[in-house]
Amino acid sequence: MKTFLKTTLTSTALVPLAFAAWAEEITIAIGHQSMCTDTYTAGIVVKELGLLEKYLPTDGEYADAEWNITWSDYSSGGPITNQMLANKLNIGVMGDYPLIVNGAKFQETDSLRSIYVAGTGYNLKGSGNAIVVPVESDIYSIDQLRGKSVSTPVGSAAWGMLLKAMQDNDMPAGEYVLKNQSPAVGAANIAAGKIDAHSDFCPWSEIMEFRGTGRKIYDGSETGVPYLHGVVVREDFAKEYPEVIEAFLKAVIEAGDWIREDPMRAVTEMEGWTGVEKEVLYLYFSEGGHLTLEPTIKQAWVDALKFNHGVLVKEKAIPPLDFDAWITEDYIKAAYADMGLDYEADKAVVVDPAEANMGLPMEIWHARDGVSTYPTMPDFLTAVAAMNGTGAKLNATYVYDIETGLKLFGKTAFWVKAGDEYATFLRKGEAEAYAAANSGAVITFDEAIADFVTEG
Amino acid sequence: MKTLSVLGSEIRKNWRYMLVNGVLFALLFQVAMLIALMVRFQAFPNYTTFYNWPEAVSVIIQSTPSIRDMAPIIWEEWLIEIGRMNYDYGTGISEWSLNVIPSRLLVLFFVGAMVSLCLAMVRRDTCQSGMSNTLRATTGVGTLLIAMTNATMSWVVCCATPTWVVGLAMLGLGVSSSLALEQLGPVLSGAGFVLLTAMIIGLAWRRARNDRDPEGVLAHA
Repeated sequence: MKTFLKTTLTSTALVPLAFAAWAEEITIAIGHQSMCTDTYTAGIVVKELGLLEKYLPTDGEYADAEWNITWSDYSSGGPITNQMLANKLNIGVMGDYPLIVNGAKFQETDSLRSIYVAGTGYNLKGSGNAIVVPVESDIYSIDQLRGKSVSTPVGSAAWGMLLKAMQDNDMPAGEYVLKNQSPAVGAANIAAGKIDAHSDFCPWSEIMEFRGTGRKIYDGSETGVPYLHGVVVREDFAKEYPEVIEAFLKAVIEAGDWIREDPMRAVTEMEGWTGVEKEVLYLYFSEGGHLTLEPTIKQAWVDALKFNHGVLVKEKAIPPLDFDAWITEDYIKAAYADMGLDYEADKAVVVDPAEANMGLPMEIWHARDGVSTYPTMPDFLTAVAAMNGTGAKLNATYVYDIETGLKLFGKTAFWVKAGDEYATFLRKGEAEAYAAANSGAVITFDEAIADFVTEG
Repeated sequence: MKTLSVLGSEIRKNWRYMLVNGVLFALLFQVAMLIALMVRFQAFPNYTTFYNWPEAVSVIIQSTPSIRDMAPIIWEEWLIEIGRMNYDYGTGISEWSLNVIPSRLLVLFFVGAMVSLCLAMVRRDTCQSGMSNTLRATTGVGTLLIAMTNATMSWVVCCATPTWVVGLAMLGLGVSSSLALEQLGPVLSGAGFVLLTAMIIGLAWRRARNDRDPEGVLAHA
């Protein structure tokens, strides 16, 4: 009996010690969106390259930590916020409108908060969102949408852009029929010609263009409001494990570097991970692409988020959001410092595609030989004509919109020939105006190529 | 006091009936929503996901400091998701789904139980048939309000979560109007419960009055 008691007491005393000796398991649950290109540097790329694991702390209080990293893929930002509220996700990556809904929903509670810790990428003027019509449609400008049906994923950044675009063009809600459609349904309806127009976020418009089913009539850049994505974190998690958030942000920075290092390799890999065509992804991630990969938090981004919040307040009466309490640069600054990078220098740089893309070469993506560049339009068209002449398969061709600097597929651009000069445009109206001003004519891509086909 | 005693007696008399109807109502409502989705979108569901609801609730309770915050978060936790995934783009996107949410099942169970109590009391009520029809219609309106505002269909429009207005949007109501109405959900649901409760109490009161003064009312004269 005595021995039994002794054994029992000793065992009981040892139990807490045994627990203490066990390594602490830290779960990091991340919600990302594999069908939203602008989130990739904090989502699919970090996941697939194992970049978070690379930067997780291994010393001090983390010496015995066991990491349990889970990634959950969502088709939109809303469910990520819900899962974060339920503490099933610690970190979420999403676009601007869902981001502010995230912040506002958390601040609506008594005891929970999320914080906006970094961006992933941006387009200064708002490219990424766009309004698309069926390729055979006779609609070429937004004012032709009066009385027509326009669908959009309500609550998304594309919805916000659509509202702003309509307001800018003096088209009140009663003058068009707004329908609520998911990206996949909207894209399918555009392909089938069942809807007059569909407004969507990155990369849906370009998927439709690439597949030859849709044509852009309005690019988000026309709103002039930056389009950005970012990373939100549950504040309690960030306070408990600040080093983990810093590690995550270092991974985001490295993911951006990895893409910039070799965009073609990156998009080819990403196609395998996400199912989005690499040629579409190239439009975003290549030099001169829609997306500037850079995680700093600029004042202009804060202003844009405040503007977006105002739009949502008007439309959906979402709760107020204290931006000062919600946004913090502490973690991204710490990540930059640890990596020996200059945060303020990056923060000061703002890439405007209209300036940055001026003079960039046109590109041809040859199915076998990869991407080649051409400094002038005649060089480019000559090469396309020659490749077509040999029956070579071209994955895609890329040119730039003269007006906005936006990178376009050669086949979807509006071409103008004025004398021996060729120019490319996103919108037909501007192409026609340019043609009229320069005694030129609007032509098709095939007609432009035909000018460079050599006999024999 | 007499009214409450009548009510207690009615509940005791009908509790099995209420229990069965409550469960049936909650389950059949899920089936009805699924059929509505299939008819509206002309497609069968192609995926089902089960969620560990008890674990999710446990995590929420442990990680939410304020009790006031817990309820609304738990309220939205899913048990089952049945829907249609579109694989034409990327790795697939859920186009629509029915979300079975335990909190809503509980609400629907109560509605079913209350309706069955109402109907049982109406059947025994000694009022004229016209009045009886009015009572049934009022029960119907109350039920409709609660059921409509507890629909958990998700039409995966971006950034949307299951909301009762999806049902209205599916019927063709404009997006702006639907979103405006979304805020009214709790009010409409509350109004439905008030109607049903008032009906039950009213019927119990009539029964109590009739018991006290059995000759005061003509029974189907």
